[in-house]
Amino acid sequence: MRSGCLLLLLVSACWALPFRQSGFMDFMMEDDAGSADLPESEVPVLSLPPPAAGPVCPFKCQCHLRVVQCSDLGLKSVPDNIPADSSLLDLQNNKITEIRENDFKGLKQLHALILVNNQITTIHAKAFTPLISLQRLYLSKNMLKEFPSNMPKSLQELRIHENQITKIKKSSFSGLAHIIVMEMGSNPFKNSGIEGGSFSDLKRVSYIRISDTNLTAIPKGLPSSLSELHLDGNKITKVQADSLKGLKNLAKLGLSHNEISVVENGSLAMVPHLRELHLDNNALTTVPSGLPEHKYIQVIYLHNNKIAAVGTEDFCPPGFNTKKAMYSGISLFSNPVPYWEVQPITFRCVFDRSAIQLGNYRKK
Amino acid sequence: MRLFFLLALLVLCHGKPYKRINVMDLLKIHDIMQQDAGDDDDEDDDDDGDYDDNNFLLDCPFACQCSLRVVQCSDLGLTSVPENIPPDTLMIDLQNNDITEIKEDDFKGMGNLYALFLVNNQISKIHPKAFSNMEKLKLLYLSYNLLTQIPVNLPKNILELRIHDNKISRIQREAFKGMQSLHVLEMSANPITNNGIELGAFDSMSTLYLRIAEAKLSAIPKDLPSSLTELHLDYNKIAKVEEEDLRRYKKLLRLGLGFNQIKSVENGTMANIPSIREIHLDNNKLKKVPPGLNTLKYLQVVYLHANSINSVGVNDFCPIRSRVKKTLYSGISLYANPVKYWEIQPATFRCVSGRRGVQLGNFGRK
Repeated sequence: MRSGCLLLLLVSACWALPFRQSGFMDFMMEDDAGSADLPESEVPVLSLPPPAAGPVCPFKCQCHLRVVQCSDLGLKSVPDNIPADSSLLDLQNNKITEIRENDFKGLKQLHALILVNNQITTIHAKAFTPLISLQRLYLSKNMLKEFPSNMPKSLQELRIHENQITKIKKSSFSGLAHIIVMEMGSNPFKNSGIEGGSFSDLKRVSYIRISDTNLTAIPKGLPSSLSELHLDGNKITKVQADSLKGLKNLAKLGLSHNEISVVENGSLAMVPHLRELHLDNNALTTVPSGLPEHKYIQVIYLHNNKIAAVGTEDFCPPGFNTKKAMYSGISLFSNPVPYWEVQPITFRCVFDRSAIQLGNYRKK
Repeated sequence: MRLFFLLALLVLCHGKPYKRINVMDLLKIHDIMQQDAGDDDDEDDDDDGDYDDNNFLLDCPFACQCSLRVVQCSDLGLTSVPENIPPDTLMIDLQNNDITEIKEDDFKGMGNLYALFLVNNQISKIHPKAFSNMEKLKLLYLSYNLLTQIPVNLPKNILELRIHDNKISRIQREAFKGMQSLHVLEMSANPITNNGIELGAFDSMSTLYLRIAEAKLSAIPKDLPSSLTELHLDYNKIAKVEEEDLRRYKKLLRLGLGFNQIKSVENGTMANIPSIREIHLDNNKLKKVPPGLNTLKYLQVVYLHANSINSVGVNDFCPIRSRVKKTLYSGISLYANPVKYWEIQPATFRCVSGRRGVQLGNFGRK
């Protein structure tokens, strides 16, 4: 409870002080109609108290320590008066339509910017320039048609799910050498809209998710640093071995809910450290080749395909078990193959009987 | 605590692959969060995905990211809470999925849970025991779902509850029973009426921030917690403010009543809120400046724009004796009112810091 007490102290300390809206008058300067030019001389100024200094916080938002919580307020634009030392700015679930050039001016210490679920269509090319410390940028559920330009180089996580982006250009991610997580599902991407070399600057990316888009193939040229790749809910028809080339760190690959009928020979050899592969809900007619030779794969989902036969050598190596990790999950239900035709010895390198799902029942 | 939490979230989500510049900060925050979550018993854990562990795959739901006891499962199209959430998890982010129901055992055994984000799903049902044994839960975000009532048996130690934009019309008497540390309560955009708030629903609470905007309130509710420092009731149908309405809320610092249909503020109302710093009464139907503003020593910001005010008196804002005022106004807005700005005497604003603190002209704010 230590931090609880600390927080409460800080909260009460903050709220006990009078606050000041220092930016309140800024827009007056733009008012050329000149409505409030009051003659100053007539104002009796005599021993007036000084304007209060203290924490600044946009009305209705909550500013505690360095977190500015402004979600669910119906805001139509980014508010003024965001404290300059803010670390996290939460603006989700508002009605912001546009990010303007000076909206984040001076927020040099901002680490996380959450703009999820607004109506943002345009972001000024220089809007993110002040954000030299930004690590997380959440832009999901907006109406962006392209990736924002000039995203901060310090960025580690970009979430831009559910927008209207069609293209990944070579310039889209240029210089983003610190990105670790990139989630860009539910955008109308097509393979033809992905320029070659688009991902080449992402030297440290470990998680990429491009689900529920119009991709018909695994994009080529993905960075070798990748440990998770999620491409479920696309229109991929075939796993091409060369699209996985170089992904030597890949541990999880999600390809569920595509239209995959073929996994090319040699595909699994490209990803020697794969642990988990989801190929459920596709159009496979056979178990993908290369599983017995793969040393680390532990979980493979193949349910809801068109697999009509399973051979005794489909999963496990012949003779001595040369696998370094036993399977902990294999799903084969909802396939035409009758389970009584699958020989028990097929699963000799499985950790536990319960790890196999054969029957035509769905896992909850 | 939510700050720590949010900071921690900031720093920790995906903590494993990230190499933060300020490692000490990370450790410190993580430490605080863990202590805060009160894990006094376990010494192991903090697996950052041990790739040699045969069971590591079962430690995290597929496509989620689990690291440093934060489970990030947003935007995945999940229709139910996934299995395999590690039991020692501190925070679960399940936002933006298609979850329809929270079942009894969905969070079973997660006694260390500190924050649970279920925003933007389609939850219409929460099992009465789904949140039992969550004594360490501090943040519960349930906004943008289909709930028709405040879930029963909420964990008692919650600090912040956000339940914006659901279908709640009644606040049942027992809704917040025993939740003495609920400091922030945001339940706007629900069809709540004054009659829907059962008597005693807020008894013995110590809430500081309460927002019931975009609801169906026709008056300021009279039995909200007396501890409130911020009360936001914008976008309701409040028609007037009576003296007794605010009698209970003596500690108020900020009051938001913008976008209502307020025609009048009764004499003596302001005397009930002597500490108030900021009042928003813009976009209402006021015919004059509310009486008593000039007695408020600490008032700094008053929004009165977009009303029907047709005259402003020289003492409407400032006390007659200047020394009475402890802090100067920094913002008064009067634009979009019938009053002609040239008819307002400059001395009206003698207790405003800088003449730009006043907005008079008939232009709308950006």
